[in-house]
Amino acid sequence: MTALLRRHPALVPGVLFAAFLLLAPVFAQRGMLNDLWNMAFFVVLASAWNLLGGFAGQVSLGYSAFVGIGAYTTVLLANAGWSPWLTLPVGAALAVAFSVAVGLPTFRLRGPYFTIATIGVGEAVRVIASGLEFTGGSSGLRMPQGTFDFNANYYAMVGLALLTLALVAWLQKHAFGLALEAIRQDIDAAEALGVHSTQAKLTAHAISAALVAIGGGLFATNFQYISPGSVFDFRLSLTIVLMPIVGGMATITGPVLGALLFSYLQIKLLASPTLRDSYLFIYGGLLIVVMLFEPKGIVGLWERLIGLRPRRRAQPPVGEARRAS
Amino acid sequence: MPAENGKILAVSSVSKRFGGLLALDSVSFEVQRGEIFSVIGPNGAGKTTLFSCLVGTYPPTSGSVRFRGEELKGLRNDQVVARGLVRTHQIVKPFRDMTVADNIRVGVLYGRLRLRGAKARERVDEMLSRTQLGHRAQVKAGVLSIGELKRLEIARALATGPDVLCLDEVMGGLNPAEIQQAMVLVRALRDSGLTILMIEHHVHAVAGLSDRLVVLNFGKKIAEGRPGEALRDPAVVAAYLGDETKEEARA
Ligand SMILES: Nc1ncnc2c1ncn2[C@@H]1O[C@H](COP(=O)(O)OP(=O)(O)O)[C@@H](O)[C@H]1O
Ligand SMILES: [Mg+2]
Repeated sequence: MTALLRRHPALVPGVLFAAFLLLAPVFAQRGMLNDLWNMAFFVVLASAWNLLGGFAGQVSLGYSAFVGIGAYTTVLLANAGWSPWLTLPVGAALAVAFSVAVGLPTFRLRGPYFTIATIGVGEAVRVIASGLEFTGGSSGLRMPQGTFDFNANYYAMVGLALLTLALVAWLQKHAFGLALEAIRQDIDAAEALGVHSTQAKLTAHAISAALVAIGGGLFATNFQYISPGSVFDFRLSLTIVLMPIVGGMATITGPVLGALLFSYLQIKLLASPTLRDSYLFIYGGLLIVVMLFEPKGIVGLWERLIGLRPRRRAQPPVGEARRAS
Repeated sequence: MPAENGKILAVSSVSKRFGGLLALDSVSFEVQRGEIFSVIGPNGAGKTTLFSCLVGTYPPTSGSVRFRGEELKGLRNDQVVARGLVRTHQIVKPFRDMTVADNIRVGVLYGRLRLRGAKARERVDEMLSRTQLGHRAQVKAGVLSIGELKRLEIARALATGPDVLCLDEVMGGLNPAEIQQAMVLVRALRDSGLTILMIEHHVHAVAGLSDRLVVLNFGKKIAEGRPGEALRDPAVVAAYLGDETKEEARA
């Protein structure tokens, strides 16, 4: 038990925090619940993105497209008479199809092609959604009357966040997680040992796209109104990327810490007009600080503080030890 | 020695062009089941490129590679591994932030055997002990010495469960004692039923281990045969001596 806790220092706080989130509707005010909802939403986005961007090292700057696909699917189908809950799997399926369509041509190429493609794809989706008739153009769409139920939506979002974390942790422990890790560290070596890298990347992309799209569907139901500016926003894509980077990529805890930090930042930013306009400056500054001082993010900082990851390697390699003696 | 009809790999007229450079120029040879077959030649001769074309790291520009009668050209690297042909890397490619055991596990889980659970763990342990890396199982591969990294390359490739193992200069950078160990390992691997394709620079190791070999120079095969004969071939001697005689060697 103690060994388990030492290896997973985030386990106890994590379970306590999950319990807090689940019990919050019993005692918390609506304002606080809104903030917690947003935090859970960010946990979904950051942890899902981390599966592909963190573990497999394939950085996408276009994840708002999946939020938007989920959100628009929910609003459009709800207006056609569907129960909002039943629209979620449809949005997820469309997002999976879209993730494959983007990934298939780009994942086969090496290097930053995927990242570059995702910037274009994210923007293209926003422009298309703004121009089309059935998406309501740039003025957006409203959910039908009677679809709003905050408590149900809150539990769904917290449940989705916990599901995302559990799924990513489970994948990390199993063969698939090792393949993603291998792809990130050396894709040539991974392929030379039998890993079908394109398939693994497509799968990771699809899983995270589905989770993010479900989050987008819940977003639409909770806000009752969406527009290209709210769900296909590049700022949202940027936030999705920054949360895991600042928190600690390729870890379970990192994206959660990033989500906590950024949902707090967002509340502060939205509250102050001067700060709201300088978000890029603040985000960019954070990114630079992390890159310069601790590329492994808050998690890396923590590991260094408690001495889990010494700055220098504790054991010299055998060859060097022999030469030195 | 293996029977004449035990051909396992047939390389026919394989060429590889990198822009203006013809790195492989219509190379052909056959490897028999159970052989230790060496590919030698000066630096830049195209040896590593040959391995890359065999396993599908990239496709040859032209020519054919048949493995147990099946055409490999057009298959991805992972598909070739699944058929039982695997290579190591001259410039080692460890997963530096993974433990040594996890490095090997990638080959066990995704290679030809695709083992899971207890069987996978057993095979990882077996590979660790065969390559004498057991005491390093839980350290990050990034801290290994060059000798250990070369053994890790072998351990991972072997973990996939191949019939043919292509070793690209696994003795490069080793001290004489380590080379001796590596030779013992290669011989043991062959004795366990594997066919070994080996790129090597140490003449002593090549002469001591190889059943047969081919010599490449500027992408062309310039000699083939048993090490005793091929290494004394005038064209081979000239190729290794270098510039003055290079023109005759290429002719
Ligand atoms: N990916 C590549 N792109 C361009 N040229 C390459 C590439 N790989 C190898 N070469 C060139 O092909 C030739 C053969 O290289 P290589 O196969 O590595 O030789 P060897 O392994 O025999 O030392 C060299 O001239 C090398 O510079
Ligand atoms: Mg080479």
